[in-house]
Amino acid sequence: MNHQATYKAQPSHDLWFRAGQQLISDKLGILGATIVLLFLFITIGVWLGLWGQNWSETSDFFNQSPSLRHWFGTNAIGQDIASRGIYATKVAFEVGLLVAVCASLLGTLVGAVAGFKNNTWLDSSLLWLMGVIDSIPFYLFVAAIAYAMKGFIFSMHMAMILVFWTETARVIRGEVIKLNQLEFIESAVAMGQSQIKILLKHIIPNVSHLLIIQSTLIFVAAIKSEVILSFLGLGVKDGISWGLMIAESTNDIQAGYFLNFFVASGLLFILVIGFNLFSDALQDALDPKLQK
Amino acid sequence: MNNWQFAFQMLLGGIPLILGVTFISFVLMVYFGPDLTFELLGKNPSAEDISQIRHLLGYDQSFWTRYFNYLQELVTLDFGMSMMKDQPVADMLKLAIPVSLLLMIPGFILGNILAIALAIKAVQFRGQWRDKTIMTFSVVGMSISFLVVIIVFQISLSSSYGLDWFPVRGWEIFTADGDFDGVRYLSYVTVPTLATVFVAVGYNTRFYRAVLVEELNKGYITTAKAYGHKPSQVMYKYILKNAMIPIITRVMFSIPLVVISGSLLIESYFGIPGIGLVTYDAIIAGDQPVLKAVVGLTSVLFVLVLIMAELLYRVFDPRMGKVST
Repeated sequence: MNHQATYKAQPSHDLWFRAGQQLISDKLGILGATIVLLFLFITIGVWLGLWGQNWSETSDFFNQSPSLRHWFGTNAIGQDIASRGIYATKVAFEVGLLVAVCASLLGTLVGAVAGFKNNTWLDSSLLWLMGVIDSIPFYLFVAAIAYAMKGFIFSMHMAMILVFWTETARVIRGEVIKLNQLEFIESAVAMGQSQIKILLKHIIPNVSHLLIIQSTLIFVAAIKSEVILSFLGLGVKDGISWGLMIAESTNDIQAGYFLNFFVASGLLFILVIGFNLFSDALQDALDPKLQK
Repeated sequence: MNNWQFAFQMLLGGIPLILGVTFISFVLMVYFGPDLTFELLGKNPSAEDISQIRHLLGYDQSFWTRYFNYLQELVTLDFGMSMMKDQPVADMLKLAIPVSLLLMIPGFILGNILAIALAIKAVQFRGQWRDKTIMTFSVVGMSISFLVVIIVFQISLSSSYGLDWFPVRGWEIFTADGDFDGVRYLSYVTVPTLATVFVAVGYNTRFYRAVLVEELNKGYITTAKAYGHKPSQVMYKYILKNAMIPIITRVMFSIPLVVISGSLLIESYFGIPGIGLVTYDAIIAGDQPVLKAVVGLTSVLFVLVLIMAELLYRVFDPRMGKVST
């Protein structure tokens, strides 16, 4: 009865379906996705208060080796390294998610508007803005935002969002310019649809695959930047993060204690490589240029 | 249009970029930035002392006057005195810039050459185990944090837990008489260079491989192969030459980032007195004259790089010059 309806829905559904099929057959991609889900699971557990809550508790057991009580031993002031690593996972995920979502939304919006208004003053000023932001040294920009926001706890996230959107905006802008020359946009214009409606209903859905890829790339960039910024004293101020653990561990290392360093850098490496593998698989599955 | 006219036109075109960068960073760092009046005053300052310091810092002037003073400083390259170190900012930078260049250039060149060589090998053996091995290593390299790489190289090469071959930190490349000492230079530059190369090769190899593969898929390569050109000739004479545009873009645009961002972590970690360490100290201390100078000069560097990249494009692709006239 609704045979005709399914037939009509086929073409748009088909691309995503095929991408999904390819993604499932990509073993490394599945491995990456599993790692990411595992870290997400750890993070949700911390949010729900199931584990990693006693990360700041000190004890009299300094620099202990791994044991059943302390899976990865303790640090110089007797804190449980495993709990700290787990709680820091949550911090890293929060940074990554917040920055990836906000920066890719901002990038899509600006990129779509710039591409839509190609060759107007609006496009050139948005391109100018992207050029300006890309030319400011990243660390200085983060420090400047932190100054300007007077110790606001999300100033590091804010700075990353304000820097990382430009890449997405450029990609989306290029795609929108390409789409704008296609017949289906022309016919939408001819039918008298408003520009906003064309943008939201016809252009954004056609760049959504790029948006997914871009946000995974931003997620990785945000997590890696957080570590370096926190290490330099420009990032996470209160609480714990992998970068702060590594900063702490540089003293431990001189005394011959490596556990803090191994846990923080190991967790960071596993999450980042998981995300990179997943992101690669997504690109292979979603980029029509690579599908042959 | 000859190249000089073109470069001049580009330079004019770069002015809005420099204005934008300086304006945004001025607003963020100086206008909304920390008020340094009391950091420079002694105990129990009188109202007169306060107003004197505020005058010295320019706080009593209007926003636009201060911004134009900054632009003037950038044009004359005279950035005044550092607030924290009793020294003109220009002198600090003059001492620091050669250090950073000596530190970063070996790693920058090696990182790119090695990556291009690996990318060529990967493309030549595309889909085979050699390609897969190279690409796996490159993903692993991309996934390790720069910070972790630096620490691991330092532990394994410069500490008693590892080989202990190189000095742990510092930059004493001159002998007691003040002469440049090549052996000392190598001993201080090796560990930072290895760390930079390790990180750069991961990202670069992937990028260059993608560029080469895209070129490889084009029709003229099939034609060249069909005509019986040797594979090595096809690779070096056709593919590599035509892939030069994206390669140049990447190399050129990473220069400003390498000079500031790359060396900031390396220099502050190894205690090397280059531009990165000067910047880092200025960030931590809120030394605005230094920060203004660094941001302003970086934006000028970006514009210069933009111009140089455009000129190089014309060398490798003569069509570009014709299109823009």
